[in-house]
Amino acid sequence: MEKKKLCIGLYSGSVDKLTAAGIILSGAVADNMHVDIYVLLQGARAFRKDIGDNPDKLQMAENPALKAEFLQSLKTLKVKTWVEFFRECKTISEVKIHICGLAGKIWGAEKLDDFIDIADDICGIGAYITATQEADVNLFI
Amino acid sequence: MTPEELKKVQVAKTVDARGTACPGPLLEAKKTVGTIKSGDIMEVLSADEGTKSDLPKWCAKQGHEYLGTIEENGYFKVFMKKK
Repeated sequence: MEKKKLCIGLYSGSVDKLTAAGIILSGAVADNMHVDIYVLLQGARAFRKDIGDNPDKLQMAENPALKAEFLQSLKTLKVKTWVEFFRECKTISEVKIHICGLAGKIWGAEKLDDFIDIADDICGIGAYITATQEADVNLFI
Repeated sequence: MTPEELKKVQVAKTVDARGTACPGPLLEAKKTVGTIKSGDIMEVLSADEGTKSDLPKWCAKQGHEYLGTIEENGYFKVFMKKK
């Protein structure tokens, strides 16, 4: 049976939305979905090697005043960090992470090596649009 | 299967996901089911309420047979047979 395709446009670079993306991604790979993640503007900053899992360098999209409480709850509940979710999901099913080239440049990162090692390639917007047309499910986070 | 029947089944693998919140139990089940043979029974131990609905639905989609759930003290066991 052909795998269902999920395409995620990951615009957000906030720790709460990235965590949500990791949880959604986990459900998708448990269902054997093929997932393509296109990392757009703010997301590309979070994927920079020097930022990634460092919550001090990431904002909250909502309830910013509750960031410390949010992070502590994740720790107490033994919830993985967003990078850990993404990394684990890549070992379970086919998950490809594509970084928008322009977004990377905006944040001073041009080469694949400038991003955390779970990124697969740098792409243009055409690749994202094609993927949205081919996907069974599209999400924009 | 009834709880009494479930208590007697031969389990090939136990996944202890009691220390994790959603989506931990689902991911652990997904990873472990790949390590057992077709027809083997796997039990997943969880204290996460969402797992009670997640795993039966996941079994239905993946073609595994959901056998039932037993309540224990502070957690529960979900049983499934691999397709």
